[in-house]
Amino acid sequence: MNSRLRMAGGECSGQLRDGELRVVPRVRKAEALGAATLLLLLAAGVAVAQEPGPFTMPVPPAAHLVAITNATILTVTHGTIPRGTIVIREGKIAAVGADVAVPAGAQVIDAAGRYVMPGIIDEHSHSAIEVVNEGSNVVTAEVRMADVVREDMPTIYWQLAGGVTTINVLHGSANAIGGQDAVLKLRWGLPVDSLLFEGAPLGIKFALGENPKQSNFDVPGRPRRYPATRMGVEEVLRDAFTRAVAYRTEWQRYEAARRSLRRGQPEPIPPRRDLQLDALVEVMDGRRLVHAHCYRSDEILMLLRVAHDFGFRVASLEHGLEAYKVADEIAAAGTGVSTFADFWGYKLEAYDAIPYNAALLTQHGVAVAINSDDDERARRLYQDAAKTMHYGGVSETDALKMITLNPARMLGIENRVGSIDVGKDADLAIFSAHPFAPASRVEMTLVDGRVFFDRDTAPTLEHLLEQLRGQREHRRQGGAAGRGGQ
Amino acid sequence: MNDTRTRGRLVARHIGLAALLLAAGAPAVLAQSASGAAVVARGWAIRNVTVVPVTGPRIEHGTVVIRNGKIEAVGADAAAQPGDSVLDGTGLFVYPGMIDAGTRLGLTEISSVPGGEDQQELGEFNPQDAALTAVNPHSDVIPVTRSNGVTTAITSPRGGLVSGQAALIDLLGWTPQEMAVRAPAAMVMTYPRTGGGRFARRGRQGEGDQLNRQVLALREFLGDARAYAEIKARLAAGAPGAQPTNLGLEAMVPVMRGDVPVIFDVETAEQIRGVLALADSFGLKVVLRGAQEAWRLADTLAARHIPVIVGPTTTGVGPDEPYDEIYANPGVLAKAGVTIAFQTNDAHDSRNLPYNAALAEAYGLPADDALKALTINPARIFGVADRLGSIEPGKEATLMVTDGDPLDARVGRKYIFIRGELVPFNDRHSRLYEEFRARPKS
Repeated sequence: MNSRLRMAGGECSGQLRDGELRVVPRVRKAEALGAATLLLLLAAGVAVAQEPGPFTMPVPPAAHLVAITNATILTVTHGTIPRGTIVIREGKIAAVGADVAVPAGAQVIDAAGRYVMPGIIDEHSHSAIEVVNEGSNVVTAEVRMADVVREDMPTIYWQLAGGVTTINVLHGSANAIGGQDAVLKLRWGLPVDSLLFEGAPLGIKFALGENPKQSNFDVPGRPRRYPATRMGVEEVLRDAFTRAVAYRTEWQRYEAARRSLRRGQPEPIPPRRDLQLDALVEVMDGRRLVHAHCYRSDEILMLLRVAHDFGFRVASLEHGLEAYKVADEIAAAGTGVSTFADFWGYKLEAYDAIPYNAALLTQHGVAVAINSDDDERARRLYQDAAKTMHYGGVSETDALKMITLNPARMLGIENRVGSIDVGKDADLAIFSAHPFAPASRVEMTLVDGRVFFDRDTAPTLEHLLEQLRGQREHRRQGGAAGRGGQ
Repeated sequence: MNDTRTRGRLVARHIGLAALLLAAGAPAVLAQSASGAAVVARGWAIRNVTVVPVTGPRIEHGTVVIRNGKIEAVGADAAAQPGDSVLDGTGLFVYPGMIDAGTRLGLTEISSVPGGEDQQELGEFNPQDAALTAVNPHSDVIPVTRSNGVTTAITSPRGGLVSGQAALIDLLGWTPQEMAVRAPAAMVMTYPRTGGGRFARRGRQGEGDQLNRQVLALREFLGDARAYAEIKARLAAGAPGAQPTNLGLEAMVPVMRGDVPVIFDVETAEQIRGVLALADSFGLKVVLRGAQEAWRLADTLAARHIPVIVGPTTTGVGPDEPYDEIYANPGVLAKAGVTIAFQTNDAHDSRNLPYNAALAEAYGLPADDALKALTINPARIFGVADRLGSIEPGKEATLMVTDGDPLDARVGRKYIFIRGELVPFNDRHSRLYEEFRARPKS
């Protein structure tokens, strides 16, 4: 039996996600098939082992040579190829174009009438993890999301079914300086370590505004935590980096002392290792990307000042719902904005959120990503990206970039993913129509050239209906035979 | 604050109208009073436009004439009167305004700020509470919603077993009463379910008892309501006796008579079966809402003519459901012959109503059915199909002019009319956009 059928807890767990208490379904592997369905299937004599559920699906074989043919290819970097071929060799795009020959021995995916786009990159995710926030201290730069990744969360499969191939799993926004992120590829069915995007740059979550100052979730009996204002949030950031500067200096002195050590002199004593400040030193040294949750324009400017003062660049403003108010300042700082298409009004700092944010920022030369921050929204990011064309007239290519190349750049993985170019990973989503068209859906999703989602074999409602009808028919016939025998 | 805002709106409306007429190259057709305040267009003609009436075939190069708040004429040869304002509809489409069959519009402003929250009362039984009472006609959420062509909405209270009375409102008006299309439009109830909803493990210890208690409580309440209505009817027929007024049961009288439907918020097939049993016991006219598992009972619902308000399709999936259940459910229902409509079950997200339908269309809902489910079907469900839901002469001129398929997230809106009034795009989001687009370079 497939090891994926191992039992796990089926209970719900309350988790703090972006500071709010949410009930998150825990995986129910064997149960996922549904006990009742299982019994019915057994009664109907259906071979359960062959049931193609997401939890029992075999791991797809690694494809050495694949060719996707007759597809409309949205390359993102070099236009649309109306009837083209993509050749994939050992998981990488080996050729793409209208006149590309299908190599001998290639597994052919005929995509006639279909559209291929780069696999969608969700720059802001809290999926496939055990817990979102280490919400105790206001600075938790030492904790790592990579330590709590779970490979068995069904949302991985559901997001593949929405064309998503890469997600940036961020710490929640409970703390001004949160934990370290984990960039994942959605290689559903492979062991947990295989999900980590190998070679992706390190990153960290920051958070400003209502969540770190705990404006919206006063728990009776729980003491308030500093900071309670935006003043305090800035102070927390400056204090942490001031400590990090001192720590770095200590290490620099130590390294210098070691380098100039003469024979016979005593070995200098190294400073005490501080995992929290290590991460912040990496930020200041440009070795760790900052993804900062923020809403209001004033706090965005505050963060840009702090970053300037401590000599680092903010890779992306997360949400940044008022970023359009300070687009020039953000452009000057070389910072990207990873935002919602149109989610608004859920708290005071989201009241000035407008669906034109992406368009205004794009007009000012700021790179924009459209993210989900949510397991469900992640499944339809293509529809959210399309809205930017409606609100503010973003071009189709720019809109596509917001869920592909732009998030790739914010994560420092643009040399690997985010467009359909030779040499990049074959992370692709195949749609039934243009991904922005209203009746479009994902037919197939590939990661590294491997088909991790295929609607033809997926456990769809249609398939379930057929099964249920079959069972009803079977029962009806069985019942008739029983009566005849009496 | 409201005064300032409404004044601003009035001014903006007039500026918008004037600009529009200039752009449309219309002759001087405005009758202006001596005070300069009232600007009244005699009528509107949208010409050379593709009309999608919903209840009939498309009309290419058609004209829609609007007068006195109503659609006066529709067709290839519909004639405007001299003096009517003309809108050139070349390359554009006319659709009925969309109806969101489940929202919190007017009952919430900023979700995290309690002062603006009027969605949920305390207690389990609140039939006497009417959503219309608490609709803030000056909520900034309302113009944001209508700017995307959602012109009409059910706004519902929530919470408890009997949440209160939903109202069908137009998203334009100076007072809640002006906005009301039908109030009450429905009584809102929740059929009990095991705790935690469909994501929770069913059959946890003690949950069955809790469920039974709640079902019994609901049955007892409905029994009281039936008795109250019967006594009231007998008293009216001259029977001797007296009955003290009970505001809650009084509100249930039209429900028990079948004049007002009950919207049952449900998720699972078990809940739906429970609703059907209640409908049988008490003769209720029921409408299911949410109903992610209604596909399991599609044939039954079709045979019993029970409409289903589906959505939001932007809802997660339970771990033991097919990945596309939430998207495919509407298509299965429509193909089985169930009358469906869509809801967003939200206020701020109500503008995304058509994209809920688009997700369903991608997973099997025929395009025509998707459009009906946003327009004529909800109008029928709430008994206003003679006024709303299609482009037909005599109906209210509540419609939208678009660049294309309104279910396409890329497609913009050109004009919105509600009850014949051209609605300006001066919502909070457009205002902020214009304001900051004009910010001088720093």
